[in-house]
Amino acid sequence: MAVASAARAVEFELPPQQSLWSDAWRRLRRNRFALIATVYLVFLVAVALVSTVWTPYRMSAIGVAETYSPPSAAHLLGADPLGRDLLSRLMVGSQVSLIVGVGTQVLVLLVGVPIGLLAGYYRGWLDNVVTFIINVFYGIPDVLVAMIMVFLLGPSLTNIIIAIVATRWMDMARLVRGQALSLREREFVEAGRAAGAKPFKMLFGHIMPNAMGPIIVQATLGIPAAILFEAFLSFLGVGVQPPTPSWGSMANEGVQAIQYAPHIVIAPSIALSLTLMAFNFLGDGLRDALDPRSRR
Amino acid sequence: MFTRGTLIYIAQRIVLIGFTVLVVSSVVFLGIHRLPGDALFNEKVRGAAYIALLHQYGLDKPLYVQYWNFLVGVVTRGDLGESLVNRGLKITPLVVRELGVSAEVGGMALVFTIGLGLLLGVFAAVRQNTWLDYALTTTSVIGYSMPNFVIAAFLILLFGVWLNNVTGGTFYYQLGAWHGDLGQLWLPAFALGFPYASIVARLTRASMLEVIRQDYIRTARAKGLRESVILVRHALRNALIPVITILAPLIIGIITGSVVIENFFGIPGLGKEFAQSILNRDYAIVIGVFTMYAAMVGAANLLVDLAYVVIDPRIRY
Repeated sequence: MAVASAARAVEFELPPQQSLWSDAWRRLRRNRFALIATVYLVFLVAVALVSTVWTPYRMSAIGVAETYSPPSAAHLLGADPLGRDLLSRLMVGSQVSLIVGVGTQVLVLLVGVPIGLLAGYYRGWLDNVVTFIINVFYGIPDVLVAMIMVFLLGPSLTNIIIAIVATRWMDMARLVRGQALSLREREFVEAGRAAGAKPFKMLFGHIMPNAMGPIIVQATLGIPAAILFEAFLSFLGVGVQPPTPSWGSMANEGVQAIQYAPHIVIAPSIALSLTLMAFNFLGDGLRDALDPRSRR
Repeated sequence: MFTRGTLIYIAQRIVLIGFTVLVVSSVVFLGIHRLPGDALFNEKVRGAAYIALLHQYGLDKPLYVQYWNFLVGVVTRGDLGESLVNRGLKITPLVVRELGVSAEVGGMALVFTIGLGLLLGVFAAVRQNTWLDYALTTTSVIGYSMPNFVIAAFLILLFGVWLNNVTGGTFYYQLGAWHGDLGQLWLPAFALGFPYASIVARLTRASMLEVIRQDYIRTARAKGLRESVILVRHALRNALIPVITILAPLIIGIITGSVVIENFFGIPGLGKEFAQSILNRDYAIVIGVFTMYAAMVGAANLLVDLAYVVIDPRIRY
């Protein structure tokens, strides 16, 4: 009798059932690095938004400070080789990085998810064709393809995003295909099919929601990759065109003057590294939070 | 080790690589010739001289003839044509020489990547959940979050500017010598390899942690073997297999990373040529270098697949 009531008492102490998402959110909050990263990213988005309406100086105004001048009270980060205010340019540069990072991943989602779903769910010749194309794309070095594409299309922000998507969509397609392959064998899919769900409903109503965790992680980790890509292209001079500042091209300008004005290369380098780090920590945190089995 | 099946597999792969190279160079060739204007657009030559120049380079022929001539040149003589900016410069010898320079930097970067990555990964795994482990895991996230040109910039600042030079301040890479000056080489190689070393370290740590919990390691301990022997001869050997899977993307990463690093340090390799020719609009060299890259990546992938066979006897093709 006593044993039975003790057992019931234990049963009552079980926490209320929680959804995957609230569970994940609870785990994410406990991850200190992911939390700090989130705070930083919110700050970065705020900076980017503010810089669309206000910067300390006009970012393209030449000669507002002495050229190459080091940080001072009037110019907190100093000035670049043309005497432009570095802080203002850094702020505007955050727009470019965020637009490229997020924009690329939105397009990658739009391209990769349907292709992956179709290939994984229907298998057969469609899957073979998709897998072959994915493998061909993986066989060619991505930065070089992007450089060639920007070269052929002409350098603009849109074309850079297109070029990065062209070299990044396979990651998402491959992941979603794998998820769809395993999910299509599960009972709820069979039940859905038996209930007469239309193909569209099957793919986007049943399979996709169940693959959402890995998709979100992949998209988050894809953002820093895209930002890095844009920085590479701009560093080499085939990216965003002047006078629009990009952290990559700012670093390139700074490298020329590294001996006597190191602040010009240090400022964008640190901004770039912190941003990439924040997205990587957030992505890792999301991975741990959404997939409790992969605890490190 | 290499059975008849493996040899057939290698042959198939080589054919496939050749095919990929052909497709890639064709796409680039056609894409570039679709662009408005021609290579002599900026040369301010007009009239008869202009037509003579166009004729000299075969640019007055229809596109399909040009393409056919290009293909025949590549396939039969390995001839990628001539530079359109530096008149009379043959591309094939240029690209081959630059490939040597790039291979040297890239090879050294690979040594850094694998050596450093394995060392850090094993240490982190052995001292799991100590401060050393946390420090190493956090460093590795920082490591792959830093673009290689940022690492290069800080290295130059640290050694070149603040510590006032180990390398004499210059990064001029000697032409003509069969190898570069090692003192000049290690900075670019380190900057190129470090981001990937972090990835290798993470992966080694994870797979080491899995392996050292297995029974055969306990058996080895019970036999009284020295810890170093257990780690290197028993554990690391098996922990290496997942690490090899990322070797192919790693090599490709180093190849693409070299485009940035060679420009940064002024190393006259394939990567610098690629970026410069794009900026110079030297179409012929762009096509040539890109063809070379496609072949290299194909070869690297093939070599990595063959490395599996050598390390894990269970894998056959």
